[in-house]
Amino acid sequence: MSTATPLTVAYDGLRPKILQRLLDLRSTLDPSLGRLDEPTARAQISAVLDHVGNFLTTGDLGLHRAFLHTFLAMRAAEAQGPAAVLAMLVAIGDTAAQVAQEEAATTSSGAELALMLTRVTASTARALNDLIADELERRLAQWGELAQRERRGAPPS
Amino acid sequence: MTQPAPRVAGDTHVGKVRTANEDSMIVEPALGLYVVLDGMGGANAGDVASQTARDALRELVVQQRMHKEPKQLLEAAIQGACAAVNAAAQADRTRHGMGTTVVACLQVDPQRVVIAHVGDSRCYLLRGQRLQSLTRDHTIVEELVDRGLLTAEEAERHPYKNVLSRNLGAKPETRVDVLDLELKQGDRLLLCSDGLYGYASAEAIQYLVGSGDPPEQVARDLIDLALRGGGGDNVSVIVLEGPPLAASSTQVVRTSGAVAWWGRRQRFLQIARERGLTQNPICRGLSPDEALDVVALSLCEAIYHDLEKSTGVNVWTFAQNLAGGWFERNGEWSALRELVDILAMSARMVVDEIRGTDASLGFLLDVAVSRALVVAELAIGGLLADRLRAVDADLIRLHGAMQETIEAELAPEDTGSKFIDTPTIPFLRADRPVTSSGISAELVGGIEKTLTIARARTAPRATLVRDILAALESIACDDSGNFAQAVLSARELYGVRPVDDAGIMPLFDALDQARIITCASVHQISASDLLRAKVLRAISAAHQRLVGAMTGLVLEAVAPISDRLREAQQQTSELRDQVARAERKRAELERKFASTIDQSQPWDKRGTTEW
Repeated sequence: MSTATPLTVAYDGLRPKILQRLLDLRSTLDPSLGRLDEPTARAQISAVLDHVGNFLTTGDLGLHRAFLHTFLAMRAAEAQGPAAVLAMLVAIGDTAAQVAQEEAATTSSGAELALMLTRVTASTARALNDLIADELERRLAQWGELAQRERRGAPPS
Repeated sequence: MTQPAPRVAGDTHVGKVRTANEDSMIVEPALGLYVVLDGMGGANAGDVASQTARDALRELVVQQRMHKEPKQLLEAAIQGACAAVNAAAQADRTRHGMGTTVVACLQVDPQRVVIAHVGDSRCYLLRGQRLQSLTRDHTIVEELVDRGLLTAEEAERHPYKNVLSRNLGAKPETRVDVLDLELKQGDRLLLCSDGLYGYASAEAIQYLVGSGDPPEQVARDLIDLALRGGGGDNVSVIVLEGPPLAASSTQVVRTSGAVAWWGRRQRFLQIARERGLTQNPICRGLSPDEALDVVALSLCEAIYHDLEKSTGVNVWTFAQNLAGGWFERNGEWSALRELVDILAMSARMVVDEIRGTDASLGFLLDVAVSRALVVAELAIGGLLADRLRAVDADLIRLHGAMQETIEAELAPEDTGSKFIDTPTIPFLRADRPVTSSGISAELVGGIEKTLTIARARTAPRATLVRDILAALESIACDDSGNFAQAVLSARELYGVRPVDDAGIMPLFDALDQARIITCASVHQISASDLLRAKVLRAISAAHQRLVGAMTGLVLEAVAPISDRLREAQQQTSELRDQVARAERKRAELERKFASTIDQSQPWDKRGTTEW
């Protein structure tokens, strides 16, 4: 994408500032992130920011969805519900966009980057909801099957 | 083009000591005239002086404003006021010597003002959060300082520091200091009598004027400040704002953005209709116009109100109502997704059209509308997560109910029909010891598959959870039927766990996480429901054993402390018994003492007590 390069460059330039802001705010973003020591929290947030950078460059929704799938599973293993994951990713996206907007006065691409980061956050929220809905659908089907068997009094197959 | 009215406010107070307010003010945005006057003179002449000057000054400005330059106009008006006060003093012997100070501001345009003053009423300018006085008091002491006869420190302590060298009324004419000032964005002017700065510090005044609060609030706060400082004099203040700072992006979105969005609502409805909103299953039963009204217009209105107030609450409520109602009717996710996508696409197209006509406004609106869509997704995500939790709880209940069926099915296995499920020759595996007939190869395979999936779902850094999964596998696949493997695994886990501030709770947290992951992973193995149930049962039993063993270890670790606690309790109990016995003895002695006294005798002849 021809427009990706300047935006990616601008994003890479802002990344240390975004990361620092997120580290400062991590207790309010997510209680489990708040409990982590700084190096561990830095590694986790960096993973999300890395992916945001990749998505800004490639715009590949399939990769985006795959990342979210893994991220959701990893957080589930740490007993984080999907709503908390969604809130955390939106908070990270919002903070990144806010930092970019603050820089808009001094850099030419700051404003455009803020818009792109807001759109990435919107795509993230949409994709994550689709994943949660898929999981819900699967479990509802399972529940329907089990409930039917229970009503019939039949043993499980 | 009409100029916006300047933001200005004035306030005055008699103070805590004086009985009459001798200050007067003019706050007339229509004339651009703002004046503070502080009257003086006995027998209530002070208020007459300030009011006479006020009326004369205003009248002269009204009469001459078309004929004179602003600077000359203000100076002439003040000279006229001076003459009027002097004439009034001459006309009435009781008012002889009355006078007044004045500080006046004539606003020529939003960027330019003329300041004039006589006496010790002041004009301050706030620029870049720094407050500076634009006027120099006309007092005898100040003039001595100007001539180099006194230092600033000496002037501060001088007994005549408040004696004015100039005022309006003492003579028919006076010298007026006039200043032409260009205002910059964010500037504020403060006109005040000495009742303010005489009773409040410069820092406090600077803080309040620079607070950014509206002028009305600042004026009130300044009066309160002077009153808290003693309120020994009448106090009057006028706060005038210069040209406002350039609007922030938030303010632009709140005003122009919200209006532009609302102005395009018909276009939004049209696009939504063209994209098939009215055919969406959620709108079934509604006429096309009703569907557009109920769904699209509601969102349009919610976005408008959220833009106006820089909040997201209206869009949040809209999305919750829409999705909540649909989920209650067991509606399909795909329909909701399609509807939300239509609305989002329509919103983006409207914003793109606004960008076409006003690029900068459209850009800001684009960011704001994208945020509104994120809020909608957040609200829907919350509902989806709630539903997922509820379905999970139902699944657990159903599995629990089915457990009994499985128990019944497993029971004959123990009573002689082993040849059905259990191989006659023990199953041999190269990678593990021979398992006894108590656990089938199929079940072992199921457990292994489940725990392999569970390990894949575990975060790489969650090493403790991984250790516990390994322990669960060895316990679940152990056919000895006793706690030995569980105790060994627990000792291993407990032994490697560093004793830190977090104590043992992280260990139990990890046990809980391992249970959640394995339960979720059981559903992902390809096996019959019966085998899944058996695997779940085996892993649950292993988990219970591991938790039990771990609890035993913890109890063992705290046993020495428990023993000491018991000893202390025993000692306390014995001491309590001793105290009780002493209390009983004391009561007995008191009774005995009371019976040896003859109550009928006077106090000094009742006899002595024999102990």
